[in-house]
Amino acid sequence: MSGKTFRGGIHPDEHKELARNAALTVYEPQGDLVFPVSQHIGKPAKPIVKKGDAVLVGQTIAEADGFVSAPIICSVSGKVKAVEKRLTAGGKSVESIVVENDGKYETVEGFGKETDYTKLTKDEIIEKVRNAGIVGMGGAGFPTSVKLNPKNHDEIRHIIANGSECEPYICCDDQLMRTHAEDIVAGMKVVLSMFPQAEGVVVIEDNKPEAIDAMRKAIAGDDRFRLIQAETKYPQGGERSIIKVVSGIDIKSTMLPADAGCIVDNVGTFNAIYNAVCKNIPLVQRAVTVSGDAIANPSNFMVRIGTIQQELLEAAGGYKSEPQKVLSGGPMMGIAMSSVEVPLQKGNNAITALVEDGAVLAIEQMTACIRCGRCNRSCPMGLVPQLMQESLNRKDYDAFENKYYGLECIQCGSCTYVCPAKRPLMQLFKQAKSEILSRRAKK
Amino acid sequence: MSNVLNVSPSPHVRSKLSTGQVMYDVVLALIPATVVGIYHFGLHAALIILTSIVSAVLSEFVFDYIAKKENTIKDGSAVVTGLLLALCLPAGVPLYIPFIGAVFAIIIVKSLFGGLGKNVMNPALAARCFLLISFGTTMTSYAVNGISGATPLADMAGGTAVSVVKMAFGFTNGVIGCSTLALFIGGMYLWVVGGITIEIPAATILSFVAFMGIFGGKGFSLNYLMGQLFAGGVIMAAFFMATDPVSSPVTSKGQVIYGVIVGVLAGLFRVLGSSADSVSYAVIMSNLFTPMIDEFIIPKPYAFRSGAQTDNTINVKNDEKSSIIPVPVIVLGAIAIIAGLLLSSVYETTKETIEQQNIAKNMESYKAVMPDAETFENDETMTAAVDALNGEVYGTDFGNVLINSVVAGKDSSGNTVGYVVSVSSKDGFDGQITLSAGISLDGTLNGIAFTELNETAGMGMRADEDEFKGQFVGRTASKFTLNKAGGSTADDEINSISGASITSGAVVNAVNAALDFVAANAQ
Repeated sequence: MSGKTFRGGIHPDEHKELARNAALTVYEPQGDLVFPVSQHIGKPAKPIVKKGDAVLVGQTIAEADGFVSAPIICSVSGKVKAVEKRLTAGGKSVESIVVENDGKYETVEGFGKETDYTKLTKDEIIEKVRNAGIVGMGGAGFPTSVKLNPKNHDEIRHIIANGSECEPYICCDDQLMRTHAEDIVAGMKVVLSMFPQAEGVVVIEDNKPEAIDAMRKAIAGDDRFRLIQAETKYPQGGERSIIKVVSGIDIKSTMLPADAGCIVDNVGTFNAIYNAVCKNIPLVQRAVTVSGDAIANPSNFMVRIGTIQQELLEAAGGYKSEPQKVLSGGPMMGIAMSSVEVPLQKGNNAITALVEDGAVLAIEQMTACIRCGRCNRSCPMGLVPQLMQESLNRKDYDAFENKYYGLECIQCGSCTYVCPAKRPLMQLFKQAKSEILSRRAKK
Repeated sequence: MSNVLNVSPSPHVRSKLSTGQVMYDVVLALIPATVVGIYHFGLHAALIILTSIVSAVLSEFVFDYIAKKENTIKDGSAVVTGLLLALCLPAGVPLYIPFIGAVFAIIIVKSLFGGLGKNVMNPALAARCFLLISFGTTMTSYAVNGISGATPLADMAGGTAVSVVKMAFGFTNGVIGCSTLALFIGGMYLWVVGGITIEIPAATILSFVAFMGIFGGKGFSLNYLMGQLFAGGVIMAAFFMATDPVSSPVTSKGQVIYGVIVGVLAGLFRVLGSSADSVSYAVIMSNLFTPMIDEFIIPKPYAFRSGAQTDNTINVKNDEKSSIIPVPVIVLGAIAIIAGLLLSSVYETTKETIEQQNIAKNMESYKAVMPDAETFENDETMTAAVDALNGEVYGTDFGNVLINSVVAGKDSSGNTVGYVVSVSSKDGFDGQITLSAGISLDGTLNGIAFTELNETAGMGMRADEDEFKGQFVGRTASKFTLNKAGGSTADDEINSISGASITSGAVVNAVNAALDFVAANAQ
């Protein structure tokens, strides 16, 4: 049965079979842990510990700086070894707190204490979510407390748990839904308690039958919930795609999901909300998939945030063949890492090691554009990448922005994926968008 | 784990589809038509196809080498161009035709405009049009195994019914790729694998059929419309030529507009112009509209389209104006319509003149065969008898003979002195023979004159010499017999032209039919 879906999109090889049935296992870090102060959209957090300080599991080691920001919570107990710049998955050196793990996992007071969320006010819930350092765990990293506090509070109609997981290879949300369905739904109930007029919607691609069953069971009997079995198609998990599927609304780049009456969060985020609000456990761990055709034993791990990614690669049996590329995330939108000696952050859902680098092959196979129009048909936003590309080839930023609505591009890469001529479309658009936005900022 | 890792922006995977694969799919889609073509037309067709493909690939290779450009033959587009060109050539052309065509297609139409993706027109079709203009006779002689004959389109133009079934299978005179069914199957394959979108073929075919139905003069007769659709490369153009992505619009709406332009132009040219090549010209002219269409027909993102729901209030008010057809499209459309009207008015004006010339020519021939008459008038009895024949073959003894018209010759005082019968025989060696026979009231044949004679020069054409046609002057017989040996002096025998007994026989039969018709109907 083919489910509901959005227009456009692509069907890349899923490769989910590598890790989809690898049980979610706990991995405990071996070496030091590294906590970059910027793991979210917004202002970086401010470190409040210094070298030599003793820290505990659940302790805030950097506090939020401003409204759109998030604190950093220590995931182990031990000693602060350094506060210094460290390389992150994004390739930037970021101020980071390095913690030497004592292996005891001693927690702060009150950690794990059960709380009845129904006795909390809306502001108390938001405060708990904020202090737990929760950010969007699907990758974007937008502070969740801000999302839960929209200006048009009364107009929110859909609380959407995004379990689409449309990126190839990645299965951690699948595993999380299979094993933590009750917790995820409990997290959604916490949010619904703040928006009594809204419904809870779980969206899962139809290639995850076990997760669908588990989530169906978890929402059974509560008529505030519904589950949408969406067609397996990339980018189903994109915020705008999922809003389209749930509400039928097409949102523009200048709009927020809340403008369409939606609050969209990853299933992992709802799990974290449940932990923070009901169990007093801040965001200290997350589910991660380690997969790819270069990985010996593709795995799903429950990992303490701050763990060095190389440890996870080794825990998955290391490489069975030399990878050309190791990605933080999946192959469609993931970031290529120059080194795997980088920490796992809140928004990192996967490490994907690929034997062959499609981007390199693309350069080798590149031909002239034959105007076949596959890019136009694949665009989930209804843009015309072929004409956008032509406008950029003649450096016509004005046409790109105003005639072809280039700023509406969500950089999902679908056009680039389907292009038989292997043109670097999305890369061009990304560049043009930042060029236009920086020109606008200068004015 | 110390190897150097690649770093690049996402996406890090690509579909397996390459430009080469896209081109390969087109070749695959053309295989059925190619096979049927070779099966029907034989080895020479295969040689034409081979020559065309090899010449196209070599042209690209040589051009890239001389222009110091990266060698691009591996993208396969030259193979497609070569194959497409070959499939729209008559099967009997000498091999220099595909060679010249392929070189023209690749060098002039494609490479000089910047290579793949930059050509303004479809290279194969532009080359076909170039060949049609430069080698008109060769390009329009549809001889099969040395025997020439009319193409279905020519038959239809001549008013003859055609077999749509034969056309579907390609067992007709035409270009190598003339099996409509094979082309259609290939086109469907291409659609299924995503090589083409359905917009262009659908819009082209529908608008063409609609145009022919309205303006073709035969109404919406199924056999006629199917015949028109299956003939003259409409299917080939709709699925393989007009859909060439490089020279057609990239947006769905643009493709529909473009397809309609192709269909209407093809219909317009077929109804008013030289019928065989209307589609070729229609497509390459429509190619020229592509940049204009792509400039103005730009779909808005979904969220900006009229009717899109962009907020969660129940009464959706959209701030976007509904998209209207841009002014340039209206202007272009108007220009196209005006040009069409001008063309048709020119045709109408010249049509009158042509008819007058035909009448004058007829009068001349009437005079020649009935010198006693001053004027020629319509004779009601005779005309009624001709109409009663209903355009069917006259009699049973005269072969494939048609009585076209009969007029009465009158002397200066208005008395009827005889009749002039225009009669045609289809039994000529090279098509139809039409002659006027002047018959006096007493049954004497005053003479014959040819108004249509396309026989072999030096052979059948000698029928128009006095040595042959003079034999009919002043003879009185109810029926003539052909003497193939010659030298006969019998009253009712006509000596055959030596070496052209078929032509001679046809003429004798036609004359006999005229005599018989007048004898039967004269008062």
